[in-house]
Amino acid sequence: MAEGGLSVEFPGSLKSSTLPPPRTRIFKIIVIGDSGVGKTCLTYRFSAGKFPEKTEATIAVDFRERLVEIDGENIKIQLWDTAGQERFRKSMVQHYYRNVHAVVFVYDVTNAASFRSLPAWIEECKQHALGTEVPRILVGNKCDLQDSIQVGTDVAQQFADAHSMPLFETSAKNPNGQGDGSFGGGNSDHVEAIFMTVAHKLKSQKPLVLSQPPVGSGGTINLSRGMNGGGDGARSWGCSSC
Amino acid sequence: MKRLTRKKQSAGGFGVSENGSATREPDCGRKQKLAEIHQALISDPVDIETLRRTAASKGGLLTDELRRKVWPKLLNVNVYDLPHKPGRDVRENHKDYNQVLLDVRRSMKRFPKGMPAAERAVLQEQLIDIILEVLKRNPQLHYYQGYHDVAVTLLLVVGERMAIAMLDTLSNYHLRDFMDPTMDSTKHILNYLMPILEQVDVELHDFMIRAEVGTIFALSWLITWYGHVLSQFKHTLRLYDFFLASHPLMPIYLSATIVLHREREVKQTECDMAMVHHLLSRIPQDLPYELLIAQSQELFSQYPPSLLAKRAALQSRKSLSISTFQVFQLSTLHQRPDSVLQRLTKAQGSTTSRHASRHSGLEVALPRDRGQLWGQGNRMVKMAVWGLSATLGAAVFAVAQTALDWGPDVLQQLF
Repeated sequence: MAEGGLSVEFPGSLKSSTLPPPRTRIFKIIVIGDSGVGKTCLTYRFSAGKFPEKTEATIAVDFRERLVEIDGENIKIQLWDTAGQERFRKSMVQHYYRNVHAVVFVYDVTNAASFRSLPAWIEECKQHALGTEVPRILVGNKCDLQDSIQVGTDVAQQFADAHSMPLFETSAKNPNGQGDGSFGGGNSDHVEAIFMTVAHKLKSQKPLVLSQPPVGSGGTINLSRGMNGGGDGARSWGCSSC
Repeated sequence: MKRLTRKKQSAGGFGVSENGSATREPDCGRKQKLAEIHQALISDPVDIETLRRTAASKGGLLTDELRRKVWPKLLNVNVYDLPHKPGRDVRENHKDYNQVLLDVRRSMKRFPKGMPAAERAVLQEQLIDIILEVLKRNPQLHYYQGYHDVAVTLLLVVGERMAIAMLDTLSNYHLRDFMDPTMDSTKHILNYLMPILEQVDVELHDFMIRAEVGTIFALSWLITWYGHVLSQFKHTLRLYDFFLASHPLMPIYLSATIVLHREREVKQTECDMAMVHHLLSRIPQDLPYELLIAQSQELFSQYPPSLLAKRAALQSRKSLSISTFQVFQLSTLHQRPDSVLQRLTKAQGSTTSRHASRHSGLEVALPRDRGQLWGQGNRMVKMAVWGLSATLGAAVFAVAQTALDWGPDVLQQLF
């Protein structure tokens, strides 16, 4: 890092003088997981409200944000979309782990290897001094691809439980239902619900552990199966307002 | 950039001009430039200084047809002796295969908008092959996400076989630091960015330090030569003309120039890591490229890497791209024009010499502390073939001279 070799001392007053006075709270969420699991699509879906037509490999880190209102307070949600290739996380992305409020781990339900990598990603977080007090969630993406599923909900749920994380299965492409993706324009976007859930959690600072498992097996909030039923899961997390 | 004093540029400290384009051309017409490039191409040896200068100066190399002629010269590639198309086996058992496949298959944006899907699909398969071919030839090199953005630019202009030869050379020189097993060397190159800013605009530099923005916003610019972030291919090509003719650190000088160009915007942004990163990482698509290129060259000659390294204590790490650049430049000085190359290559003909002469002695002169020099082949046999090759008399001279710089070890290997 350039700043490492160039540390220059600045009085704190300098910094505050350049800031505008009204302060919107910022929740910084880092999204990590193997290459190709759909991190860019998920964060794009949340920030732009649609599935991106073409996404490319993310190099180092991309930044997306969205202003939301939670219980009358304006909150800026910053999503740091990271590169999946190992070489980037080893020496480049660490800068972005600082002051992270929450972590979203993503795997691809049609790619067992991406699920098997999760322990390494969790370890990675630990190394960056992100303890269990930082809310973490697990997202299984691409569950619209019903015919190619390699990671069953049961095994994913077991893993999530073992690491005290809630599990969400969804599809950035088709977050509201199955099939041809024609539901994309609907009102209840489950990818949005996932990130809003995290935001609510951060705002309330209450434990992000399910006390009452909603619909779906073993406490999974399955946000893809059944376009009407899925919303219940989100609602039980208290984000129906979004 | 008004603070940049526009003093007359002097040649770099390398003996060979460092960026190969020390003087800025008067705004001459396109016709004159075309004539100049053609003249340089038919000179014997090829007038590489003129080619470098015209590639960097206003308008770059003008057309793809010219690029196909000049780009290989800039990298000392013999277009009459190109590597063969990769066979199917190139995809077998390569550790980076899956990652390459993943990145190339989703790299649709890099292809021209009107291109039929079938044609694009063919090119994507070629892209996978050329990347894996170069990686297989150079086991010391490691694939990084973004490498495919460089490869696709070459492929679209020069085609599969020439792209392999060019990518091979680029990977061993200009891009070498990015291809280590880790990205520590890449970080080292990025570390030149802030010291350049500091030289030109202390206020801006200090603002960015306070924001703790780091330099990752410029990472994709650097390692893809901006291919990843520019939406218009013609801009990418213009920059590739420039970078192929320049010092390997030039992309980082351009990064600094772009940041300086946006100085006002940056200073008006909230002094916060996320905000400044967000602003800078989104590159405006309407940048005045010709102006920025000229300014980068000025920055380079005013604050050459050696000066920055001294001032910013950057010397702790060795950069292969920087340390091998002089040798690389020397190797390009003695190229024969294409008409001669065609005749000689035909006369030479044999497949053994094909392999040996592909690198025209360039590799012989290089100390390779990482990785193998000649792949799996028998080194001595290839040396002998190379040494006997009558076509390379001039190169032998150049190599011998260079070898003197590297010490007796290299000389013993040569003779």
